[in-house]
Amino acid sequence: MLSRVAESVFWLARYMERTSGLLRVLRTNYVGSQDELNDFSWKSTLQTYGYLKDEKIESVQHNSRKVLEYVMLDRDNDASLINNITRSRENARSVQDNIPKEVWQALNDNYHLIREANIERLIKYGDPVLAFDMLLKQGMCLHGTIELSMSRDEAYNYLNIGRYIERCIISIDVLLIHLKEVDFDLTQSDDAPLWRYLLYALSGYELYLKNNKGLLRSDLVIQQILYNPNFVYSISYCLRRAQRYFQRLQQDSEDESFQSVDFLLGKASNDLKYSSPDLKDAQAINEILINTRKNIIETTFALNKNYFGI
Amino acid sequence: MSASTSLKNYKTSSDIWDEMICSDGIRDCYTTFAQSIENMSLEELSAKDELAKKLFMTQGITFTVYSNNEGLEKIFPFDIIPRIIKAEEWKTIESGIKQRLKALNIFLKDIYGKQFIIHDNIIPANLIYSCPVFIREMVNVQVPFDIYSHISGIDLIRDVDGKFYVLEDNLRTPSGVSYMLENRIMTSRIFPDMIPNNKVQRVRDYPDLLLQNLLSLSNLQESSPTVVLLTPGIYNSAYFEHTTLARLMGIELVEGRDLVVENHFVYMKTTKGLKKVDVIYRRVDDEFLDPLTFRPDSILGVPGIYWAYRKGNVAIVNAPGNGVADDKAIYSYVPDMIKYYLNEEPILNNVPTYRMEIADNRKYVKENIHRMVVKKTNESGGYGMLMGNNATAEEIEIYLKAIENDPRSFIAQPIINLSSAPCFVNGQIQPRRVDLRPFALFGPQGINIVPGGLTRVALREGSLVVNSSQGGGSKDTWVLA
Repeated sequence: MLSRVAESVFWLARYMERTSGLLRVLRTNYVGSQDELNDFSWKSTLQTYGYLKDEKIESVQHNSRKVLEYVMLDRDNDASLINNITRSRENARSVQDNIPKEVWQALNDNYHLIREANIERLIKYGDPVLAFDMLLKQGMCLHGTIELSMSRDEAYNYLNIGRYIERCIISIDVLLIHLKEVDFDLTQSDDAPLWRYLLYALSGYELYLKNNKGLLRSDLVIQQILYNPNFVYSISYCLRRAQRYFQRLQQDSEDESFQSVDFLLGKASNDLKYSSPDLKDAQAINEILINTRKNIIETTFALNKNYFGI
Repeated sequence: MSASTSLKNYKTSSDIWDEMICSDGIRDCYTTFAQSIENMSLEELSAKDELAKKLFMTQGITFTVYSNNEGLEKIFPFDIIPRIIKAEEWKTIESGIKQRLKALNIFLKDIYGKQFIIHDNIIPANLIYSCPVFIREMVNVQVPFDIYSHISGIDLIRDVDGKFYVLEDNLRTPSGVSYMLENRIMTSRIFPDMIPNNKVQRVRDYPDLLLQNLLSLSNLQESSPTVVLLTPGIYNSAYFEHTTLARLMGIELVEGRDLVVENHFVYMKTTKGLKKVDVIYRRVDDEFLDPLTFRPDSILGVPGIYWAYRKGNVAIVNAPGNGVADDKAIYSYVPDMIKYYLNEEPILNNVPTYRMEIADNRKYVKENIHRMVVKKTNESGGYGMLMGNNATAEEIEIYLKAIENDPRSFIAQPIINLSSAPCFVNGQIQPRRVDLRPFALFGPQGINIVPGGLTRVALREGSLVVNSSQGGGSKDTWVLA
């Protein structure tokens, strides 16, 4: 497979995953902002998914519609949803001959949907949750189309590596932001709505309830996000999946290239697997997250160097 | 209102050949189609029109116009009513194109070889050497199977006499074939059963024929040759076509940056290292192909590819240098080439062409400018053109001045009344001017022309300009069995 194609497929998946990750975070925060919580602030969302100056953030942090408009539809915001979808599609455009027509069309539908006047109207004046749900559904349709139509060849493997690496980074970032929001104090915050929202943002609330009989404890939430092998947004699960898809590339790789990336992915996975932090110690959790993130970034550099020819 | 009423109100003009209507009523080839739609309401046709637009958009059959970092998606306008050509007419077109291509191909071999046609005073030497797209680097290059124009898209128009005339030969990188394929699929969606009922010949074999030709061009010692399609990239307006063709043929779509030349062999950069490339169907113009040989500022091409080609290590389709046969001044000599090389009379006529470097021609054209279309000899796509009947005095003045300054770069032709065909425009069936671009494939086994092509439509009432860049659209083209 062409290096450029592999890179584009990898990035199309990353932008796709980033899009659905952002949508879930925004949906959860929006619902949270309408909850009984007092003084809900979009500050951390704006800091993470935008480039506004502090004074501007101060002025809009309590205005949900303005925030959503900026994070979702503003083309001048490099991290906006519409820019993510556009980039995903641009990457797909350049590899159309390597992905099934159905996948290209599903991505194209996604692109046209976000540009629809209806989405803008819902965000500005109507029910933004409806807009989130429409976009999330379209995203799921896209994932389903990929599963049903793509042959299990190189492109599929690069796509999944991109998908799981991005998902891993999203889960790490969401948890890091959350730790910051609770001021790295995990002893006082059990059962706070914030933990529920964290699970909502990662689609993990139902699984948590099933496993923990309704008790909302920060250490159990963190354990699920870090280690649960059945939770599709857990960092451990994402790393294992990325490893699995990468190992399928062995026969299509040069030995040296394969070994260098495989080592780094294995290191990221094992560092996490064999860590045993006190799950009530926010600083220890923070260190693990930072270290895992660093390992993942090193892996992507190795992919760039060995596979994408950058 | 029903379609039958709209068909009754369909107005033709005596000085324009209409593809559907003649003095006796509806032509035979359109009868079955007309009967099928006459009971439809215009609302029904409008709904089909809307459906076609929606399908083009959702399937991403679009080109993107970029401005202010915002990509604006546009569809190439599609008219739902097919253009229908009867089998006998197609036979004439087919044999005429084959004859023409044979002669043009020999001309290219000759002009980049021994140049008999110049020595025998058929074409003046200065016309060739003053042609900016005559590539001296191609002189004495051994081209695989002596084929230069593997893929061509010949523009035909029909005058009031009902005869087809060749307007351009397009031997470089003609585009539009993907729309020929997509338009057919669209017609089958919006008019179910009509294609089999009308016994329309199929066009879908085009990618298979093209791939066979490309494979056969590779070095014969290569059992499994690697064929790629070289595109300028996603910002090219024909990018959709490049991806469509690559996908339909199952070949790799590459950009210049994906290829590298080493020891005069071309390789593509893959995740498993370099892989040798044997045949390149390039959709990059000659001048951008190799910065070491042609334009040094090109980033679309591949440094060193020309010498790999010259050494016979890679086949490039179409061959570089074909532009000389596309030059509009040299075009006027194609009937002479047919007589000279093939000893045959041309089956398809040229449009009368006045070369502006001849003083008498200049004088004539100046006096009759309102009946003339003036064209630059090396432009295409409707650019560099003046329609004398619509131009302002100021525009005419600018062109006449430009002709005086550089007469070699201009030709003039009488304005031909392009034939009209029924189109569904503004909720009514109305005549609009059309041309026809069949696509011919020239391979070691001979010339194949899929029965059909791209019918381009001037969607504006009264307009004669069919180019997509100038507000034109397209429609499906049916060749009946």
